[in-house]
Amino acid sequence: MTAGRLLFDLAAAGAIIFAGLMVVGRNPVRSVLSLVVAFFALAACFVMLLAPFIAALQVIVYAGAILVLFLFVLMLLNVGREQPEKTGRPIQTVLGSAAVLVFAGLLLGMFRGSGAHVPMAADPVEPSLLGDPAALARLLYSDYLLHFEAVSVLLLAALVGAFVLARREHAS
Amino acid sequence: MIGSIPLSDVLLVSGALFSIGIAGALLRRNAIQIFLSIELMMNAANLALIGYGAALGTREGQIVVFFVIAIAAAEAAVGLAIFVALFRHTETIDVNKINLLKW
Repeated sequence: MTAGRLLFDLAAAGAIIFAGLMVVGRNPVRSVLSLVVAFFALAACFVMLLAPFIAALQVIVYAGAILVLFLFVLMLLNVGREQPEKTGRPIQTVLGSAAVLVFAGLLLGMFRGSGAHVPMAADPVEPSLLGDPAALARLLYSDYLLHFEAVSVLLLAALVGAFVLARREHAS
Repeated sequence: MIGSIPLSDVLLVSGALFSIGIAGALLRRNAIQIFLSIELMMNAANLALIGYGAALGTREGQIVVFFVIAIAAAEAAVGLAIFVALFRHTETIDVNKINLLKW
């Protein structure tokens, strides 16, 4: 087992453990912090999978911006711990758990056999150059320019939409 | 194989993370935790995309992940704005207590 393999396995195990903690925990602030750790571990996985630029984006945008926004809204709303259900909805819980188990079984069963024989692309990129930011940027601003512009318009629409939605309505 | 990492391991991790995310989205009642679970599912998909991209020897997987991250940022902003507006009206973000559209 090489060092790269070991690091990937450790990071993947960390990501799965902290993702599990995120789902199990009843305190929302702790959930967000667990997910931050899980996203850092996933960024380490991305580095091992030859995508250092995406790993940097993961840390800056996901762990840095999106989850801090979550934390900010949690603090703003002052949401407490989830109270244990008093009325009890056993049917929903049982059916939900069954659906999750069936789905996980199907997904993992589907993935178990795949990935063994993946054909290489016609002109595969040198592995050390795969995550080269300059090459990625060139691709983004040439072949994917239209998509890039569409995303910029989408972000603008989201900005305006978030502003309109969260605005306090004045009595008119 | 990506270096010494088999692609099937990457897919297994991705599938496990996606399943954890779907469990959170189906079983939790706090809207913020449901939203966090959705973010986790997106990240599981990102992992599979990067794994396949590296195994195929193309950069397209990383480009798609770039767009997914941008769209996740937009989605988080709009979703959290909805929660703030909802909380202002109902004083809760427990999805079992929010049933304005139920009947």
